[in-house]
Amino acid sequence: MRIYTPPGLAYPITVTKLLCREGEDVKENGPLFNYRYLAKREVWDEDVREHIEKELDHWADFESEVEGNVTSLDVKVGQVINGRVLVAEIEEPCKHEVQFGGMCANCGRDMNTVSYSTTVKNTERATINTVHGHTALLVSQAEASRADEEAKRRLLDSRKLSLVVDLDQTIIQATVDPTVGEWQEDESNPNHDAVKDVRKFQLVDEGLPGRGTWYYIKLRPGLKEFLQTIAQYYELHIYTMATRAYAKEISNIVDPDHKLFADRILSRDENGSMNSKNLKRLFPVDTKMVVIIDDRGDVWSWSPNLVKVYAYDFFVGIGDINSAFLPKQQALEARPKQPAKKEKGDGDDQTNDSAAASSGEVKSNGESSSAASKASTPASTPPATNGDVSAVDRMVSMAGKQDDGSLDEKAEEQDKTIAAQLADRPLLQKQKILDAADEEAKASPAAEAAVELLSGNGEKRDTPPPESSKYRHNLLQDDDTELEHLTQSLRNIHQAYFDSYDNDNLTPKSSRVAELRPGHSKKRSIDELERIPDAAIIMSSMKNRVLAGVHIVFSGVVPLGVDIHNHDLGIWAKSFGANISENIGKRTTHIIASAERRTAKVRQAAKRGGRIAIVNQNWLYACFSQWKRVDEDVFRIHTDATTNGKASKDLPDEIEGKGYSEVVLSSSEEEAAQTEDETDDSLTTGSKTPNGRLEIDTDLDELEQYAPTIERKDSSPTEEEHGEDWDSLNQELDEFMGSEADDSDTESVATATASDGIKTPPSQRKRKRDALVDGGEESAATDGDGEADEGESRLQKRKKEALARTTSLTNVANVPSTNGSTPAAEVSVDPGGGAAEVGPGIADGEQEEEDDLEAALAAEMERQSEEDGDAA
Amino acid sequence: MFFVKTLEDHLTLHPSFFGSQAKQYVTDLLYTQNEGKNTGVMMIIAIIDVLDISEPKIMPGTGYAMYDISYRAIVWRPFRGEVVDGLVRNVVAGGFFVDVGGLNCFVSRQLIPKQLKYTVEGATPSFTDNIDQTIEHGSQVRLRIKGMRSEMNEMFAVGSIKEDYLGILMQ
Repeated sequence: MRIYTPPGLAYPITVTKLLCREGEDVKENGPLFNYRYLAKREVWDEDVREHIEKELDHWADFESEVEGNVTSLDVKVGQVINGRVLVAEIEEPCKHEVQFGGMCANCGRDMNTVSYSTTVKNTERATINTVHGHTALLVSQAEASRADEEAKRRLLDSRKLSLVVDLDQTIIQATVDPTVGEWQEDESNPNHDAVKDVRKFQLVDEGLPGRGTWYYIKLRPGLKEFLQTIAQYYELHIYTMATRAYAKEISNIVDPDHKLFADRILSRDENGSMNSKNLKRLFPVDTKMVVIIDDRGDVWSWSPNLVKVYAYDFFVGIGDINSAFLPKQQALEARPKQPAKKEKGDGDDQTNDSAAASSGEVKSNGESSSAASKASTPASTPPATNGDVSAVDRMVSMAGKQDDGSLDEKAEEQDKTIAAQLADRPLLQKQKILDAADEEAKASPAAEAAVELLSGNGEKRDTPPPESSKYRHNLLQDDDTELEHLTQSLRNIHQAYFDSYDNDNLTPKSSRVAELRPGHSKKRSIDELERIPDAAIIMSSMKNRVLAGVHIVFSGVVPLGVDIHNHDLGIWAKSFGANISENIGKRTTHIIASAERRTAKVRQAAKRGGRIAIVNQNWLYACFSQWKRVDEDVFRIHTDATTNGKASKDLPDEIEGKGYSEVVLSSSEEEAAQTEDETDDSLTTGSKTPNGRLEIDTDLDELEQYAPTIERKDSSPTEEEHGEDWDSLNQELDEFMGSEADDSDTESVATATASDGIKTPPSQRKRKRDALVDGGEESAATDGDGEADEGESRLQKRKKEALARTTSLTNVANVPSTNGSTPAAEVSVDPGGGAAEVGPGIADGEQEEEDDLEAALAAEMERQSEEDGDAA
Repeated sequence: MFFVKTLEDHLTLHPSFFGSQAKQYVTDLLYTQNEGKNTGVMMIIAIIDVLDISEPKIMPGTGYAMYDISYRAIVWRPFRGEVVDGLVRNVVAGGFFVDVGGLNCFVSRQLIPKQLKYTVEGATPSFTDNIDQTIEHGSQVRLRIKGMRSEMNEMFAVGSIKEDYLGILMQ
């Protein structure tokens, strides 16, 4: 250790005498040299007969803070030292490079003792945690590098890489829902087959009373083979956010002989961070030979070493029971329910479930809104569509408050989640719903729609059923094939890595000989290890080849308002080399769309002929899991999109065959073709959502039930719109307003519809607003020279008037007192405009489209003012 | 090393337990709270007998009754320099961890004889000389405690097997 003069000395100091020589041993706090310094001191002055301050010479010893052999002494007698200067170099008998529980593991000394001469605490010499199961063992940087080097050499010799494996939803799924146990016992239960090989163990949770909780563990299909195969190519590590006890139990299940993972288990107890995983915790020096498999990319900050796998979701809706500590999962729109290849053959199914699909869609919308409104629901069962987790939120939660309070809170939250799961038995509830629907379906063919809907809802997350049976009796499906593909891609990575390694080290033998030569050994070996290829780079290049040259546009897949570039799916696709853009352009090759919705982009893409492949998300997932650009054919959807709304026989689409939809489609079709503006797209997207079909669905009660409540702010496109989009919208509105004095008679129709007592679901409003935009353009065309200059005050006025009309038909001209509190109502009324609008209340059949427009406007205004009111 | 030691403890009893059975409750409490407890310097293995239970005193403000209990117990206290036997719990590149009763012990590689090399066979790490000595998960080893440190409810030790007659125990 090098000894420097500390900053606290009374500089300048002069070395007066050396107290030891080079080669001598020095004790701790043993003197190295004697020095002289000047300092003021009060001395008694005989002349003035009082104490006066005088600068006097003082002498002191400079002591060594460590014991050891003095290898060099760098001060001389008479040297004046003015600051920090190297005094001596002392070789210690023990450098305390490995410390265990505050002791040096080599000499057994307590590292926490501090003396007056200590400048560097002994505990700071070893700060790196390298061992999986312990936080008490710390090593120094040098020791860590040595260990790392050794480990690398060992791995290279056995031609293996390191594989860090996540547990929850990657190789297993766990639940504490006791229903699983009952189903296991009950052979007559439809889910018995699926759960019969579910393993269980009991853990005592601190937060919960009782003798402990049973955990039910479902292994991902093919796990055993997967681990056995992969263990030949990789050294396996477990890295989980669960507790140590849990991780231990899981490893007992997946690896009963402890031959695969041995004790290489890192749990949240030792992780150091509660909400992110870091390779540096396990591989502090470098990560060139490490591959990760995990179902979450965000916790790894999308590390280049990561192979993201599709989350295993066997226990439907349970999610990851250990994710309370992780940042909220970003919404992925549900993986399409039906495997793509089924879709063509299932035409007969689709004819009768068009209504079902429409209400099903509403249901999922409703869920999303309720999920959004219940932002405080425990994160451990992340709703499939909580698209409200903004990037900022995620950053905040990633950065996370690490103080004990918030950790306790989270631990408590997790306990609560487990308790809730125990009490609520979500699986049982789901199955009950399913059964009930089943019963109904037997009774009436109309209700089979409900079955479709509920099972669809149950399966909504990502478990694609093996066959699209209309009557689904069992909730749980066990048909995941991710691990097969994963085995292959991991083997490919291994192959590529060692190919590259062999190419780089054509003469590994000679370097090893050189290594033995004294003097060269260190250098050579480091060189050799530095030249090893980096798995991250190899993986990146392999992945980049997969979707190279593919330009993807997403449509109707990602929740509105979520930037696709920050969305998991987008990042994932980009990591495979795909280019992503918002709009269809010349280079677009693929459009990822949802089978249920025919968006403007889809039709736009269809217009370009076969050049753009319209596929569903499963194509992407297939590419991701197989690491190759799979054939698009089986994933193609909307193959009839070019027929522009005319249903083809072999692939009936729910949207088609409805006169109303066709009207909307054709009108927005033009618009879609004209503009590539994102706003318009998102608006027109609304028009083709199945919500549009609500118009012809007569079962209003059901709609009401499923309709999202007003707290739909998160998914409302207006929330996310950019300023300029608003401007253009306003302009269109203004233009429209200018025209509306001419056709004021339509107003009353809108009023009539609006006041019919039909509570318009927001989703429907969205569609109507789309119609509004269309209409706006139209009327702008006919009456472009309106009072556009009146600007926003007119808009406000319109808003208010619409509001007034919606509320009551009778007092059109007056501001209803009930709305007095809303900000919209406070805007002053333009009397002229208002008068113009109080027109005769006669419905004009020819103006139907305009009527709709008005209704939409009214509804939208109402909604906005309500939001305003909420905000106020 | 094991000792029979007379210890004292103060236990508080909730008023709901007051009654003729109170002493029994207190004794039960003593057993459940103290047997197996790690005080930081020693571990209480078993309570032999209760020597004396004082008259209870009601704590002001809470209503709890406090008993002073003295009892004899078998305690285990490891010392620096002591030779102990333990079970290997985890083998890592830098050494291995041994459970010596309730004591966490780490044997660093520098304190393992040079002929024992760290190897990973299949996936199981071990220190082995490839002849007859293999230290792996579950092995019994004898080691000398080189250093001890105690924290609240926890004891750490570092050990050495780099001496004659130390190391793996042959069955």
